[in-house]
Amino acid sequence: MHQQTLAQLASVERIEQGFESCGYICSRKIATAVFLAFQLRKPVLVEGPPGVGKTELANTTARLLDTPLIRLQCYEGLDEAKALYEWKYSKQLLYTQVLKEQLGDLLRGASGLAESVERLHRFGDIFYSEQFLEPRPLLKAMRQDGGAVLLIDEIDKSDYEFESLLLEILSDYQVSIPEIGTIKARTTPLVFLTSNNTRDISDALKRRCLHLYIPFPSAALEERIIRSRVPDVDGRLRRQLVAFVHGLRQLDLKKAPAISETIDWARSLLLLHADSLEEDMVRDTLNVLLKFEDDIESAGAQLRQLLGPSPPASGGR
Amino acid sequence: MQANLVNFIRVLRSHEMRVSPAETLDAFAVTAALGYADRDLLRDGLAMTLAKTAEEESIFLQCFERYFGHVPPDLSRTALPPAADRVMEAPDLEDDSATDPASTLRLAARDDAALRALLAKPVMRDLVTNDRTELSLAINRAAQSVGLRQIEVFTQKGQFTRRMLDALGEEHLRRAIIELERRDSPVLPLVQRYRDILREQVRDRVEREYLLQAAGKTRQFMDAILSQTRLNAIEHRYLHRVHDLVRKMARKLAARHSRRRRRVQRGQLDMARTLRGAMAHDGVLFNTCWRGVRRNRPQILALCDVSGSVAAYAKFLLLFLYSLQDVLPKVRSFAFSSHLGEVSRLFAENPVEKAIELAHRQYGGATDYGASLRDFATLAMRDIDRDTSVIILGDARNNRGDPRLDLLRDIHRRARRVIWLNPESRRAWGTGDSDMLRYQSACHFSAECNNLRQLERIVDQLLKSTG
Repeated sequence: MHQQTLAQLASVERIEQGFESCGYICSRKIATAVFLAFQLRKPVLVEGPPGVGKTELANTTARLLDTPLIRLQCYEGLDEAKALYEWKYSKQLLYTQVLKEQLGDLLRGASGLAESVERLHRFGDIFYSEQFLEPRPLLKAMRQDGGAVLLIDEIDKSDYEFESLLLEILSDYQVSIPEIGTIKARTTPLVFLTSNNTRDISDALKRRCLHLYIPFPSAALEERIIRSRVPDVDGRLRRQLVAFVHGLRQLDLKKAPAISETIDWARSLLLLHADSLEEDMVRDTLNVLLKFEDDIESAGAQLRQLLGPSPPASGGR
Repeated sequence: MQANLVNFIRVLRSHEMRVSPAETLDAFAVTAALGYADRDLLRDGLAMTLAKTAEEESIFLQCFERYFGHVPPDLSRTALPPAADRVMEAPDLEDDSATDPASTLRLAARDDAALRALLAKPVMRDLVTNDRTELSLAINRAAQSVGLRQIEVFTQKGQFTRRMLDALGEEHLRRAIIELERRDSPVLPLVQRYRDILREQVRDRVEREYLLQAAGKTRQFMDAILSQTRLNAIEHRYLHRVHDLVRKMARKLAARHSRRRRRVQRGQLDMARTLRGAMAHDGVLFNTCWRGVRRNRPQILALCDVSGSVAAYAKFLLLFLYSLQDVLPKVRSFAFSSHLGEVSRLFAENPVEKAIELAHRQYGGATDYGASLRDFATLAMRDIDRDTSVIILGDARNNRGDPRLDLLRDIHRRARRVIWLNPESRRAWGTGDSDMLRYQSACHFSAECNNLRQLERIVDQLLKSTG
């Protein structure tokens, strides 16, 4: 990677500051992971509940380094042809049609099948060369000049077979294509894999990765995130709303509100010109935070307790 | 430090974390990249390479705190004996040097050759000058020289403490104390206090090492023993430990075999899809599409005898069934003695201990294999197909009743496999009221199974053939 990138990733502190300037407030641990990923040339396997900024981490890193982000969304049934490379069949077919005449010329005068085949052989594997190769995200990331950030999103949704496919790419940063040979990464890409833990990732893959678990942030960190993302919310409301969300996370919910939901909620409150948390308004906007009817009900029942310990809520008007 | 890190990784391994040599190398690379200066940074970095699950991370953090977390106490504070005032000649003096026990000692040593000699000893020097780093280094050296790492059981603690103290040269202090006592010297409590601090430090060090090393080793040892002990000989209080073992085993088996199930074989040509795909290429059949053959997932029906004659085994067999049902899809469990009933729901809805107790209560009694097989046939016979494995866990002691071999033959014909696991040793099969030899003729596979290791081997085989 170029000099500028090297400087950006020179130390954990630099990364932390860099992320902050890109609007991504992170804990020290996350910055450490990125630092190590770069230093050890290892991919990072990011785990954590949905909505804590796993994907955003890769986005921000790409922005920070000013390199393209190449994203591969995993799903069941994802295979080589979609992830790695594919031959451009139509182009191959078209060329054979167009070149039919040429082939005729070429083969004219050849006596017998053996000689014709011999002549054809001289042209080698024209139709299986790089011109006919359609690179998919993984190969694209390998061939990117100046490096790239490769995001393999929701790896837990893919099949086991696909994981094995990743092993060569993630440990040696190369791709083997039988017809062409091995393509090695020009610049080692920074790789992030995310997982929502719907199934266990194989040990072989885990062993090749740095393991980063992003939990829900602490209140202080979340306040900083809100300040950076929704700067117009004033300090007191910010403190209150973060405390409220933290209270919600303590409840037994189907899906606890994540950072992205806190941000959305902060934005909604801003739109509603709220300057403090009021019970009615919270009740009306609860659906921004909670996505299940059951959760909304059970949180609604305990709303007063959740809002209780912050008396300025009513006296602030 | 390298040796330290290697040793730390060994500790992690003894706490049931799997750390491969490749990960050990990564850990070294991490320390090289991060340095040792920032402890928290190093901890996070190492956690990322060494811990692969949330569970492992918590083990890691615990071990890290124990291993690297020890901060030597400030000796100058603790060293100040409670009785210091009495010793001091001028307690009201504000001067720091006078209230400092170290200077008091040095003062006294000026005209005391024995004390001077004592102060010259390296260990005493570290104590008196409050050089914590040097002291903990000395303690570590002593730990290494006596092989503290080998500590395995708590009875060794005293022995190791003694040997480490000897290696540190505590005898000089001891001798000096005897001498000072004889002379009734005013600095006696000070020297005693230093001795106590040293002992405390060493004892702490031994304790920490014990917690690190022995806790893991003891558990490994226990597991090894438990998996070889006959199931009926395992005491009830180890049930939980066995449960963990069985669960781990079942999980391992499930992980190893779940992949086989997913394999899709290439089946017939899918003409419609092939033609549709060919449209893009001017009707040339460029790409052929195949219909996959997806293997039905194997179904397992497990029957467990819970009668009095196998009561001690039944507990563990049920435990095993419970764990199996937990990790494998499509397992149905049945319990029987005089009659038979399905306990799958019971298992799914209750925690393990409760479920086992309930199964015992509902289905315990005198054994009647004939009636139980009949019940089983009415309950599940039509669900048995060529992807079904039937496992029977029992001793085949039928109290001389009708064995209903015809029913088992039926099951044998329809099922992919019938497996009989008998806790009795093969020699006892067919003796007394055992119908095992007759039942055996209607099983694809029968085996003696009375410890966890055998159980694991058999189930592994079973899954291989059904997978």
